[in-house]
Amino acid sequence: MSKTAELLPGTLDMLILKAVSLKPLHGYGVLVRIRQISGDALEIPQGSLYPALYRLEHHGLIAAEWGQSENNRRAKYYTLTAGGRRLRDETAGWNRLATAIAAALNTTSEEV
Amino acid sequence: MFKRLGSLFRVLTRRREFEDGMSEELRFHIEQWTDDLVRSGMSRGKAARLIRMELGSPTNVKADCREAFGVHLFDELRRELTYAARLLRKTPGFTATALLTLAVCFGANLTIFAVIDSVLLRPLPFPEPGRLVTIFNTYPKAGVDRDGSSLTNYYERRGHISAFTSIAIYGYGTEIIGEPGSTEREPTMRVSPDFFSTLRLGPVIGRTFAEEETTSETNHVAILSDTFWRQRYNADPNVIGRQIRVNSVPRTVIGVLPPAFRFLSSDARLFLPLASRPEDRLPSRRHAGGNVIQMIGRLRSDATLAQAQSQIDAQNATLEVDDPQAKMIADAGFRSLVVPLHADHVAAIRPTLLLLEAGVLVLLLIGAVNLVNLLLIRASGRVKELAVRQALGASHGYLVSETLVETTLLTLVGGLLGLAVGAGGIRLLEALGYDRLPLGGRIAFDIRLALVALAGAIVMGIVLAAPIAWFNLRRHLGNALQSESRGGTSGRTAQILRHGFIVAQIALAFILLAGAGLLGLSLQRVTAVSPGFQSDHILTGQILLPWATYPDAARLTFVENLMDKVGHMPGVLAAGVVDNVPFSGKSGKSAATVNGHILRPGESARGHYSYGVGGDYFRAMGFSLRAGRFLTADDSRRSERVCVVDEDFARYYWPNASAIGQRLWDESTAGKDAEAFTVVGVVGGVKQAGLTEDEAQGAIYYPYAFRIGDSVFVAVRTSLPPESLGLALQKVVRQIDSDIPVNDLRSMETRIADSLVARRSPTLLAGLFSGIALLLTAIGTYGVLSYAVAQRRREIGVRMALGAQPARIRRQFLSLSLRLLAGGTLLGLIGAWQAGRAMGTVLFHVQPLNLPILAGAACVMGILCFAACLLPSQRAARVSPMEALTEG
Repeated sequence: MSKTAELLPGTLDMLILKAVSLKPLHGYGVLVRIRQISGDALEIPQGSLYPALYRLEHHGLIAAEWGQSENNRRAKYYTLTAGGRRLRDETAGWNRLATAIAAALNTTSEEV
Repeated sequence: MFKRLGSLFRVLTRRREFEDGMSEELRFHIEQWTDDLVRSGMSRGKAARLIRMELGSPTNVKADCREAFGVHLFDELRRELTYAARLLRKTPGFTATALLTLAVCFGANLTIFAVIDSVLLRPLPFPEPGRLVTIFNTYPKAGVDRDGSSLTNYYERRGHISAFTSIAIYGYGTEIIGEPGSTEREPTMRVSPDFFSTLRLGPVIGRTFAEEETTSETNHVAILSDTFWRQRYNADPNVIGRQIRVNSVPRTVIGVLPPAFRFLSSDARLFLPLASRPEDRLPSRRHAGGNVIQMIGRLRSDATLAQAQSQIDAQNATLEVDDPQAKMIADAGFRSLVVPLHADHVAAIRPTLLLLEAGVLVLLLIGAVNLVNLLLIRASGRVKELAVRQALGASHGYLVSETLVETTLLTLVGGLLGLAVGAGGIRLLEALGYDRLPLGGRIAFDIRLALVALAGAIVMGIVLAAPIAWFNLRRHLGNALQSESRGGTSGRTAQILRHGFIVAQIALAFILLAGAGLLGLSLQRVTAVSPGFQSDHILTGQILLPWATYPDAARLTFVENLMDKVGHMPGVLAAGVVDNVPFSGKSGKSAATVNGHILRPGESARGHYSYGVGGDYFRAMGFSLRAGRFLTADDSRRSERVCVVDEDFARYYWPNASAIGQRLWDESTAGKDAEAFTVVGVVGGVKQAGLTEDEAQGAIYYPYAFRIGDSVFVAVRTSLPPESLGLALQKVVRQIDSDIPVNDLRSMETRIADSLVARRSPTLLAGLFSGIALLLTAIGTYGVLSYAVAQRRREIGVRMALGAQPARIRRQFLSLSLRLLAGGTLLGLIGAWQAGRAMGTVLFHVQPLNLPILAGAACVMGILCFAACLLPSQRAARVSPMEALTEG
């Protein structure tokens, strides 16, 4: 895995919002989902994932709730709040942007 | 913004839950990931290594997560607080001194602020109180500055002055309430129907007075205050329509006021319609105010005070055209002034309060300077420690925040202690009679005060931190680290700073001391003023006779009866009655016309204190007779019209002739010959309204039968302690009429002392403040000098080893303190002079630049500073060269 696949500042937040907008996810689930939607090409700086989640929660864009994981473990699930949804809606072409970033990052990783 | 604060607050209050959740979440993440990696064929050990590399240390991740919520700031704050608390605990002497200083300074400031807040700052408890004004008549050239308003003024102005939405009139009174046998005297107000609508706060139950209820035949209604309603009627919601006896006449309760209703300083419990007869409202009665009735108005929202004033002026000018007395009124400088209600009500006490506020602020400044000096000394001792920490990487920001946390912790605890001192201070003020100041009843220890204390403490913390932080950061690391002593050198700047602060402190304390001295001298001069009669051994009391049961003739019989009975009481030397006793606080002047007196150009008719006296009033009060005779009880029984004037009156009207046999009328114009009073005696002048009354306006005394007033003051001269006669006097009055109580029973000396309350208590407080200031200055000077000695021990040791005499060393330190003292005193002199000038309005017969006071203050400061310096200087002289040179 190459270190050059680092995210631009702010894009991690958008990816997280996108990930949890589909269905409630725990932290690890967010990681897996982002990897999955970016076709494994996008590597998230692991150390930043949780601070980003906490920041989004603090800003009221996502909400956290404790629940049961698939293997019956206690896990914290994140969902998109009304505020987060509004932010996502306001950003026109959000999906396009996310794909473009993924594509761009894909290209970069192939070139190296 | 608030949402984020809310989320931060939630986290802070459930901190453990937050931390546990974070750990659990990370653990879950790692386990899930490990499982996934193992499932894809990686060994457990390799997976763990990979995760650790990718994720970084869980501690760092958690720290970043905390930062996302802003929680880390609080962790840092807690760490710094613990550190500061530990430092403060390690120096108990310093901490105790600092806390005590803060407690006293904050306490004094909070106490005075409580007064300023309740009297000057807090608006009156009515909607849009800033639009409320009072309107009163003034005749400055006749010596009558304030004469209230007349009924005529009210009926002429009502609805005709467009700058007002409404105007209303009121008068204070006391009435006898209740059924025969169980009567009580209650403070009341008589108000016009539009009084409550002008204030925009009226009854919550029932209604206000109607226009038809303003005649003496129809005014049998009453509105209750909330407390009266609760105490007397047990908060009965069906009180409307019930009967209440006021001065033996039944009235119907028509309304109850809300709990918050309080008009200015009045504690009225019952409100009655201000009734009058049509003849009282005639133009001829326009200037018959007599300070009994006051007028208020509410300015229209688009009108200014100046507009209202010019409209009133214009109406007065139009009305006065037809007035037969127009010339006299104009000569007297007549005007009706429109003044903001709140400001007018507190105008007299305002300068004194501002003076006290200035005093406590100076005290606070002295305390702050003291603390800065102590903190600077403390910081000097830690120079090396800080240098080492800086060298090890402590950032400037960190050091500043550390200082800030330490000083703020100190000031917050000091503020808390100050609140306690302030609560005690408010008690002290009550003991000093401050609740009797205008609006003084509102003085309270409340949440406002606590908030002010909090804000003050935080500001003080920042102010104290600034010089210390500057001191800590400005030095060069290298110098501090290389200096040989453990504490490091403090540098010349710091020394100049410390000495400068001492000079400032001495100057400020000097100003306070001189100011207190001026107030004290002024008070002494006031108390030295003779009231003009022998004020000892006189008991006075007020008896209020209701007009309904006591018309003129019955009043005279009552007085005759009373004098007869009181005269036979044991221990009574002489007794008399008067319609208003001096120092009653309600002195009003009225017009008189002297037969044959022609107004000189520029002279206007004068208002004079006028009294109706009965019994042996002059002897009871100890008046001195200058010519002729006193009035006696017989003068009220005879139809001959006689009167007595005082020497000021006699001197003014008959400077070169005897007053005896002269004639005058108790009207503003000459009347019929048969109605003239003949002067039969001249008595000494008497201070009527207060000891500070400078202008002798002249007084006329008529027999009581010719000047019957609402109330009767009885004055009894006794050989016993006057207060001991109170019960006996009340009993005698109850024997005549069981429904009539005696009120306001006070000896004449108490009355005089009470009239000085607005002077005595500020003087006491100023004395107290300057005492504290002196103590603080002494502590400050001692602290700085001691430090200077301790710091230069080695130098002193070397010099002594080389042969310097101890006396020389001592002299050196004493001369340093002398220089500081000289500088401080010089600045203080200039400040005291300016302060004295600002105090001009509160001082009585004392010049702002009073040499004995200034010299005295300089003396006190000198002795104090000398004493504070003596000990450290002695210590310097006793330094042993051996010890000083060998120690670390």
